[in-house]
Amino acid sequence: MPDEKLIPLAEAVRRYTCDGLLYASGAALPVGSDAIVFGRELLRQKRRNLHAIFHANTQQLNLLAAAGAVSRAECGFTGLEGFGFANGLRRAVETGRLVLEDYSNLAMALRLLGGAMNWPFVPATVNIGSDLEYRSGFAPDACPATNKIPAVTDPFSGRTIGAFSPLQPDLAAIHVTLADPRGNAIMLGTEWSRFELSRAARRVVLVADAIVDTACMRQYPNLVRIPEIVVEAVVYCPFAAWPQGSPGMYEIDEEHMKSMNKALATDEGTEAYLRNYVHSYGEDIDNYLDLIGRETMARLTQGPTSFLVDPYRQWILPHDDVLARLAERKKEAA
Amino acid sequence: MSQTQEPCTRQEMMAIATGREIRDGELAIFGVGLSMLAGYFALAHHAPNVRAMTEGGIYGASPIGGLPWGIECNRISANATSFTSGLDALGFLVASGRCDVGIVGAAQVDKYGNVNTTGIWDGGGEIGPRFRRPKARLTGAGGANDIACGAKRYVIMVTHEAKRFAERVSYVTSPGYLDGAGARERHGFVGGGPSAIVTTLGILRPHPETKEFRLDAWFPFSSVEEIRSQTGWNLAISPSAQVAAEPTAAELAALRRVDVTGALRKH
Repeated sequence: MPDEKLIPLAEAVRRYTCDGLLYASGAALPVGSDAIVFGRELLRQKRRNLHAIFHANTQQLNLLAAAGAVSRAECGFTGLEGFGFANGLRRAVETGRLVLEDYSNLAMALRLLGGAMNWPFVPATVNIGSDLEYRSGFAPDACPATNKIPAVTDPFSGRTIGAFSPLQPDLAAIHVTLADPRGNAIMLGTEWSRFELSRAARRVVLVADAIVDTACMRQYPNLVRIPEIVVEAVVYCPFAAWPQGSPGMYEIDEEHMKSMNKALATDEGTEAYLRNYVHSYGEDIDNYLDLIGRETMARLTQGPTSFLVDPYRQWILPHDDVLARLAERKKEAA
Repeated sequence: MSQTQEPCTRQEMMAIATGREIRDGELAIFGVGLSMLAGYFALAHHAPNVRAMTEGGIYGASPIGGLPWGIECNRISANATSFTSGLDALGFLVASGRCDVGIVGAAQVDKYGNVNTTGIWDGGGEIGPRFRRPKARLTGAGGANDIACGAKRYVIMVTHEAKRFAERVSYVTSPGYLDGAGARERHGFVGGGPSAIVTTLGILRPHPETKEFRLDAWFPFSSVEEIRSQTGWNLAISPSAQVAAEPTAAELAALRRVDVTGALRKH
């Protein structure tokens, strides 16, 4: 099948990432959709010195920062919402291992929009007048900062506003609920800025909780906000956002959210977390799922949003069929 | 209050007083945590026609099973009527100037209602001419800066402690009235600025001309003296300052229906 883009997670990371990459993920909020499993694989393959673009922090950035894989980050929000401060990211900033450039959540969406449009800048009517404009982590000596959100004149009214720099990440790993093997995707829940990101990034890898037949996309084309023509590869991984939640698919694993963030609060805890939850499983999806625990998975699947998936269930390809398809592709490649 | 109700906690009083700021029919945006409880309390009690959204673009939803962990949590995705995006909610509906009211939290707030949620700096909290890393990194702006710039008015909800109430915040994450009268106009913000700082001890409102916040109400369990001692600037008292109305049994019951897991009763 020439249009098939389904590849294993490890292969996607080998093929599309490198040290120093301008890497975007997240694009949702800290407890929901994010391609967290992609971040674990970045660490397994020892990627370093990443420049991370995360609309809002997630456990992925928290982990990458704790492990020392990120040297620069740009974010609109850096906490974990109800789970408190993001200890891994917080420590990396406080010790100076990671330099953070702060924006607001709307600013990050607008900068991705600017990247998608290939605009030279985006007019800024928010973030101006505050220290988001005046202070820059990337250029700490300039106060007020001159290159972060520089002042521009509105040519119509003559008033002074700001200019946001557009974002065009080298790679976006975007978590989606459902993808077909060609790279069409449906996101359940708020898409946050994944739509803009899918057009702003130079390359897009989808990380999908479930793979559906393309007939599903033909039934609901209005809901396919990421079409195959902007997608490089599709990675299949159930519970790809674990321990965060994926509307319709699984709930937040509250216990692991807390224990993970607690572990990332110290170097020793981070070491142990990497040993137990990053380097402990091979490239086999089933090993990853065993790590989460089959009972935990069953429990998290029984959530109040599971009805959201009902219209699409008939097209979801069984787990073993997707794995067989991946194996077939591997054989073809060999 | 009815005999069967547990007494109202300070956090609950803050949530109820914040909820009273929300009027029926308004277009409203709530952040995660206590501000969401305050907002949904208003819906459950006196403002059933509030048009509420989250900054991620979740519309028509009310939380189920307790305080959501985040604003895109499944607890607030289970009965939504529309899912859109951050650009839509924070941009089209808030930064545009359409949103009537927002609620934001604060780690530190100052006399002009400027909010810091970015960091705590050592050496007296002064960052200095060169930007340096904070001693304690906090959560950053999130959508609060966008609400502060764009919403017609917004309410700041914050625990009333001296360390949080500064003459001047170390870092302005979300603009209040900046350095006083006229400052917001200079930046052309479409939003009107903070209309109240609701705390665990009382309610502060801006002076109509100077925009400096002064005490407008204290709670039945607090006093002017306690509030002044927990405020890092020389807090003026509004001529009309008075004790805020005690929560009614109906208010407390409505709040507790929203706060299923008792998040506001833990302190």
